[in-house]
Amino acid sequence: MPVLRLIKAYLRVNLQMALAYRAEAVVHIAVNLMWLGWELLSLTIIFNNTATLGGWGPGELVALLGVFRLVNTLMAAVIWPNTEYFNTSVRDGSLDYMLLLPVNSLFVVTFSRLTLWRLWEPILAVILIAAGLGLSGAGAAPLNLAAFLVLVLAGAVILYSLWIALIAFTFWFTKFDNNVTILQALLDTGRYPATVYPTWLRVIVTFIVPIALATTVPLQALRGELSGPQVALFLGISLLSLWVATQIWRRGVRRYNGASS
Amino acid sequence: MTAEPVVLVDNLSKTYRVPEREGGFAAAVRGFFRRTYRDVPAVQQVSFQIAPGEVVGFLGPNGAGKTTTLKMLSGLLHPSAGGARVLGFTPWQLKPAYLRAITLVMGQRNRLSWDIPAADSFLLNQAIYRLTDADYQRTLAELDELLELGPLLKKPVRNLSLGERMKCELAAGLLHRPQVLFLDEPTIGLDITAQARIRTFLQEYNRRTGATILLTSHYMADVTALCERVLIIHHGRLKYDGGLTDLSRQIAPFKLIGVALGEAVAADLSRYGTPVQTEEDGDKHFIQVPADAVTAVTARLLADLPVHDITIADPPIEDVIERAFHE
Amino acid sequence: MLRIYQRLWQVTWAEQWQYRANLIMYLLYWLVSPVVYLAVWSAIAEAQGSVNGLTANDFATYYLTLLIVDQLTSEITIHAFGYKVQDGSLSGELIRPAHPLLTNTLVYNLAFKALSLLGLVPVWAVLFALFQPDYGTVTLANLLLALLAIGLGFGISFLLGAALTCVAFWTTRVWALYELYAGVTVLFSGQFVPLSLMPPAIQTAAQFLPFQMFKYVPVQIILGRLTWPEVLGYYALGLAWLAAAWLLFRWVWSAGLKRYSAVGA
Repeated sequence: MPVLRLIKAYLRVNLQMALAYRAEAVVHIAVNLMWLGWELLSLTIIFNNTATLGGWGPGELVALLGVFRLVNTLMAAVIWPNTEYFNTSVRDGSLDYMLLLPVNSLFVVTFSRLTLWRLWEPILAVILIAAGLGLSGAGAAPLNLAAFLVLVLAGAVILYSLWIALIAFTFWFTKFDNNVTILQALLDTGRYPATVYPTWLRVIVTFIVPIALATTVPLQALRGELSGPQVALFLGISLLSLWVATQIWRRGVRRYNGASS
Repeated sequence: MTAEPVVLVDNLSKTYRVPEREGGFAAAVRGFFRRTYRDVPAVQQVSFQIAPGEVVGFLGPNGAGKTTTLKMLSGLLHPSAGGARVLGFTPWQLKPAYLRAITLVMGQRNRLSWDIPAADSFLLNQAIYRLTDADYQRTLAELDELLELGPLLKKPVRNLSLGERMKCELAAGLLHRPQVLFLDEPTIGLDITAQARIRTFLQEYNRRTGATILLTSHYMADVTALCERVLIIHHGRLKYDGGLTDLSRQIAPFKLIGVALGEAVAADLSRYGTPVQTEEDGDKHFIQVPADAVTAVTARLLADLPVHDITIADPPIEDVIERAFHE
Repeated sequence: MLRIYQRLWQVTWAEQWQYRANLIMYLLYWLVSPVVYLAVWSAIAEAQGSVNGLTANDFATYYLTLLIVDQLTSEITIHAFGYKVQDGSLSGELIRPAHPLLTNTLVYNLAFKALSLLGLVPVWAVLFALFQPDYGTVTLANLLLALLAIGLGFGISFLLGAALTCVAFWTTRVWALYELYAGVTVLFSGQFVPLSLMPPAIQTAAQFLPFQMFKYVPVQIILGRLTWPEVLGYYALGLAWLAAAWLLFRWVWSAGLKRYSAVGA
């Protein structure tokens, strides 16, 4: 399978790079643990002063923190490094080389840089989710667990699509190299259930920069709060957004090579 | 027998639309609502053909349209008008089969990752271009032999000198054995030895594989060593298409003679040729002399003046071209 | 000397004005966390009337004031200066008869601040309309008192940030160190959670650390929650830390310079 060989080759290169920066990796892991400590401390402070937040208990918020950290890993291990690489290649012109490879350009642009040493973070996230569920005392029904997994994936696809659209805008607005900051900025809203936010903020994180679709919504499914059709709807939205994003990307590339003007 | 041309360019044109913008806040606001554009013709109705195995030099001053043409031929840019076929493909459709058959190497851009050794980036290319292990090993061995890559491949690219890096960049661009090579300033910034290295390599590569090469360069030496035929482009138009020997005869039948004289001597060199102002070499005076008079003038200079040092050189390529179109 | 600053200001301002589009993104990035915490705490306070004596309005005034104070006391020295050590462009600045950090970088910080405040005005107005805080307790005297505390806060934060950035003379991993420092600041400055809600151990430690001068103390002064003796006490603490930060900075800078010239970057 050429595709598998390609993925293997990219993983190899990224492993090489991770090894070249192993000292940085150790420091970053330490910093990351510090932030985890801070996040847990925040939750402690909050639940010292209240029993529930937006109807959710401490265990559920720990689980949400786990889901948030999954999304955060997607952001830090895939989206950031590739965006940086993309923006640099636009500036120094090596994007030309990427577009001339006989492989899907979207694949090259979005998956050629992976921060592999961050792979321990999803494991930590899964531990947090499991611990949180245990703490809340609500064992997850297999069906809810399946819906949860599907929606985490759907949420990731939605964010991935938004990201593609954002970097594709660089083809129209050349100075737009802050393209993903908006994503990263609103990511912090994913630490808490969207249900506690005032309406305007909830609208933003659900419809405009849909962080909540990747954090709050999957957890709602895990708690059995979503119906089958709702799960299907979110899945549909994610596929649609991927399709729209691919179209935007294509138009962007066509603009870049002057086919559209 | 005339072979089917590999590159067929027919009235190729590219016009960029550039937003016009004045300075100042008010102008910026106006521009936001109603943008005005200016059309900048970069390439205008260029036509030529290149036969298989030919090495063609593409010359012209900065901004003449060389890179734009190369980008259109490699498929990166869509032309505004006209057409081109390379190996039977329309480049800007970016068909994978086409991309596997060509390469574009730009002297000022990096395709290799800085942090890891080139060998590892090569393996990635093997997967991207779907090369079998056998083919890959064979090509790599050949490139290794021609470019003497050896130990360079194992060092992180950031630790390589510019010349070493360019060798690796070239190798990376050639691993898939492309039939057509588009080279944009492949020797820019390199020292003389490294330039010569790249030149011999390209010559040998062309001889062995029969690949067709179209290259741009600022260095006349690149062109004289490699190309029998040159295309000259100026202000987006093709001004010359023909043999290199004819070109110098036709356009620059001159040589530059540089003389260093004793400190106290302030001789009037205009008796020997046209004095030329150059920025480099403060203590040397340069004069421009018709090519066929070089021997005679040199003899006279040496006889008349206390000459410390004398050099004879071709006028810079930029000058030749400037001269050709501004007289 | 004043002339240097005046000219530097003109140049730096013009430079940063070019990047105003990036600035909007930066503002957004920096704004979200406080707004999230404000939303969370307001929700809790509204649900149960008050949290530890703080009402929903107390949280709104706290976080909205914090947004401005944070902008005034924060520093971006590592962004403005760190790379110059590593790529050697510091050499050009060293041969000029003006201290690179105390002229160039300081003015860079100030210009950035001014520009961000300009961008913050409309955003703040929107947030004000959304949360409708009641600023009844704020008086002119409080604002004037806070001004001095803000000055002290920025002085300390600038000097500590500069001292930390100078670690770049020894290692390229200064960024990670800075991230740790940022974490400590978050914990002890009252950035995300008012210090009075923190566990007692952290509150006690914060009383002796400089970080509360960055955010918590100026905010409390503006909101009129501190008595006169308390304010004077914090001034004294601030001055002591300012002196300490100055000595630390001088020491790290001169040691760093020695190393820079020895390595010959």
